[in-house]
Amino acid sequence: MVDQRSAPGVALRDDEVRRIRERLGREPSIVELHAFDAQWSEHCSYKSSRHHLKRLPTQGPDVVLGPGEDSGIVHLGEHGGRRYGVVVAHESHNHPSQVVPFEGAATGIGGIVRDVLCMGAEVIAVADPLRFGRVEHPESHQRYVARSAVDGIAAYGNAIGVPNLAGDAYFDEGFDDNCLVNVVALGIVAEDEIVHSFAPENAAGWDLLLVGKATDPSGFGGASFSSLSLDAADEQANKGAVQVPDPFLKNVLMRATYRVFAALRERGIVPGFKDLGAGGIMGCSAELAASGGYGADINLDEVNVAVEGMAPEVIAVGETQERLLWALPPDVTPAVVRIYNEEFTLPQVAFNARATIVGRITEEKKYVLRHRGRIVMDVDVDFLTGAIRDELPYQPAEGFAPAEAARPRADLGAEALPLLERVLAHRDVCSREPLYRRYDAVVRGATVIPRGYADAGVLAPVRGSRLGVALAVAGNPRCGRLDPRRAAELAVATAACRVAAVGARPAGLTDCLNFGNPRNPAQYGEFVAAVDGLARAAGELGLAFVSGNVSLYNESESGKAIPASAIVACIGTIGDVARTITPGFKRPGAPIFLLGNRAPERGGSAIAELLGIDDAVPAPSYAALRAELALLRRASEEGIVAACTAIAGGGALVAVAKTAFAAHRAGRRLGVTLDQPCGFHEAPGFVLEVADEARFAALARECGAVARRAGAVAEMPCIAAGGERREVDELMDCWSRPLEEIYP
Amino acid sequence: MSARIAVVLFPGTNSEDETLRLLRDCGGDAELVHWSRPAELRDFDAYVLPGGFAYEDRIRAGAIAAHDPAMDEVIAGAQRGKLVLGICNGAQILLEAGLVPGTAPARRPTAAFTHNGPIPHFVCRHVYVKLAIDPSRCAITRALSPAAIIPAWTANGEGRLAATPEHLDEIAGGGHLAFVYAHADGRVDARANPNESARGCAGLVNREGNVLALMPHPERDAWNFNHLDRPAGADPLTPSGGAELFRSFVAAVRA
Repeated sequence: MVDQRSAPGVALRDDEVRRIRERLGREPSIVELHAFDAQWSEHCSYKSSRHHLKRLPTQGPDVVLGPGEDSGIVHLGEHGGRRYGVVVAHESHNHPSQVVPFEGAATGIGGIVRDVLCMGAEVIAVADPLRFGRVEHPESHQRYVARSAVDGIAAYGNAIGVPNLAGDAYFDEGFDDNCLVNVVALGIVAEDEIVHSFAPENAAGWDLLLVGKATDPSGFGGASFSSLSLDAADEQANKGAVQVPDPFLKNVLMRATYRVFAALRERGIVPGFKDLGAGGIMGCSAELAASGGYGADINLDEVNVAVEGMAPEVIAVGETQERLLWALPPDVTPAVVRIYNEEFTLPQVAFNARATIVGRITEEKKYVLRHRGRIVMDVDVDFLTGAIRDELPYQPAEGFAPAEAARPRADLGAEALPLLERVLAHRDVCSREPLYRRYDAVVRGATVIPRGYADAGVLAPVRGSRLGVALAVAGNPRCGRLDPRRAAELAVATAACRVAAVGARPAGLTDCLNFGNPRNPAQYGEFVAAVDGLARAAGELGLAFVSGNVSLYNESESGKAIPASAIVACIGTIGDVARTITPGFKRPGAPIFLLGNRAPERGGSAIAELLGIDDAVPAPSYAALRAELALLRRASEEGIVAACTAIAGGGALVAVAKTAFAAHRAGRRLGVTLDQPCGFHEAPGFVLEVADEARFAALARECGAVARRAGAVAEMPCIAAGGERREVDELMDCWSRPLEEIYP
Repeated sequence: MSARIAVVLFPGTNSEDETLRLLRDCGGDAELVHWSRPAELRDFDAYVLPGGFAYEDRIRAGAIAAHDPAMDEVIAGAQRGKLVLGICNGAQILLEAGLVPGTAPARRPTAAFTHNGPIPHFVCRHVYVKLAIDPSRCAITRALSPAAIIPAWTANGEGRLAATPEHLDEIAGGGHLAFVYAHADGRVDARANPNESARGCAGLVNREGNVLALMPHPERDAWNFNHLDRPAGADPLTPSGGAELFRSFVAAVRA
């Protein structure tokens, strides 16, 4: 029996230690124990989730690179005879953000940006889906987390100069003990210039060049830390596992790396390049080598360190931020070192930051670490990095279905308007501007629709090209609590509708699955149900997941898990940004249409919470959705959609109100007269202003979509329905204010 | 004759991409010059200091960069009459370098772009700025129309002009207040001012009219595709809006 006390903080189970010992034929060294601990953690290995994730569709005509490397890639379009792809990554930084929210959320941005960068891409956008607990009490830890996490995201993203393009935020007691800080990043790359996260052919003998921050003791045990439930008693120890962000260094590191990409392309060199994340130098170098079919030999004495005397396991697996690893032919390495260390002066930018050769790729598939002249790790690299699997039992999750008698379901007509103010002020419906105005939305100057102005943010990411990319996120935790499977389906459908609402074609998905403890069969069953839901919805809509992330163990010490949270981001492509549907109603008198099968279920909606209604979560109607997406696409290509808002949180009436708010924001003081019932049901759909009614109706028939004329844009700045009316200014006030107390 | 514009990169600069792109789209012969090669700056005819967080905004935004060797060249060039445009962090650097309002010797700052009011945090918001001087007062604004309204984005945590009341009078009285925050229709009031900047100041010019410091970013609302109210059928890639200031700058550099 290995003395676990000799390796404090190791989360490996006894049977896993036994397996290592049998394979090595000896006791593992302390360094080896820590290496396997990181590499076999849930965070790195997806050991309890990978076999379920295989059910997700990952291939399709838009997929340039599916899951497996640091990021996936979606085809964007062609410009100047070249094909361009959008690099997509999605991660969580939940556990660190609960403990030290500013640093945790900041390093979330820092990490995801490296995942995109190392594909050879320029980083063009980030987005943050956030889930916080009850923030009503000014002194609560929940409010502190909600504020500090946003400040951390702002501090990091603003400094590196990447616009925050999309995101959402929910506030729910289910996140009182475990916040969710998810982060999506996008990059742009010419498809013939993609850099891979593996050592390429004939790379034996190549240098392993470590680049970035000096390795320090921060972030030691990070991978294992995020694979355990949070326990207040260990909070201090956990704090040490959170990395220290340095966006200033990252800013320079990114720009230097862009310069290196250009230099390598000039020389025709195809390198290997990978971000240092979980498992630090060891995890990164082992995967970079093993996935190319090689081994690696690393001398830890060559690592640039911030303090002397660190134990070899800390240097090897510590997760110091702002580091990347190149596999390069030795004759090229000096030129790359010069770019980092001299042209971009890394050693002057941060203490002992630099590019430095730490080892080499080896033909023999062994993973060797040396420290002070001794070999401290010597294992079969495939054993270290190979797939391990935990088949855990789960209890199938059933969706909530109330007794028939408990369903007050009549759609609201005239009585809807008096409720509108309350729904608009609901904490999950109201404006997120107080939060996102702290993020730079427009740095890089490529923004077509900034965050918050429409359902999706839009960029024109290729210089001199009309190609556009749209990004939106979705995932309603109130639905997740009631029905993990349908919530996941709705997340896919809603994210896709949101990018469609700006005139983009949904082209790819990425997900972050945030769930409880996989060793609890009920909590694990929610995860399995959500994967089913994602697979179903993506399959029905013909979309593929190109990347994703799993965050388990989001469970408090009392054993309470977060609401099932499958959070989905959808990437949309636009052939010509001139065709983007700009926000807000445009022309008085223009007809307003409602698209969407208005399913009667209201479970998980804002109105259900406000009125105390127990109901099932609506199931998306895929045939209807496909027809609506096809209609919207054709109508926007013909330029007859003047405005469009996806129906989601708050329902159709809120979508109408938000379209009016967007017009007001643009200086058009327009309103709406509704002559059809338009309520608060949240099943997916769209509200549209149409420029050519006859043509739109004809297209709807061709696409098989049901389009209902619900009213018209009005000259008067009011929303009028069923004899009632409300001033748009007053409604906007209800909607804009609620989060200002949290984010003054 | 082609006049060359250097976009000066400091460690922490983050707006060089859109700045360089817009200068080129406006016909400027512009390139990036790194902090590690300050001597190269001498051969350029004009300088643009883009936005970002040079030297991490340590001490005060722009304070360290103002003492970077690259600024020796920029200050020397400005004193010889070369045109210098600083935007956001670039504006903060020019203020810290004493080039604007320029009423004291170089590197003796007389005012500050400091923490935003009323609540001192980063704010990203679309704004308009109005030319508050005669266009010919500043070489860089010469091609603008009088009281020109330029769209831009404010995106900073330290953009509020602060100075002693006497110095603010000197700034206003001496014609240094180049741009003020305004509404789209040109009205000037407190609501148009995103950060309680003194005198509604969005931009400052030196006495000689060759150095302009502007806090908000016109280069981020500078192509048709950036504008939410762009006319249907407009070529999305055509520079417009915020590009007017860059056109005027490029014309002045070539003059």
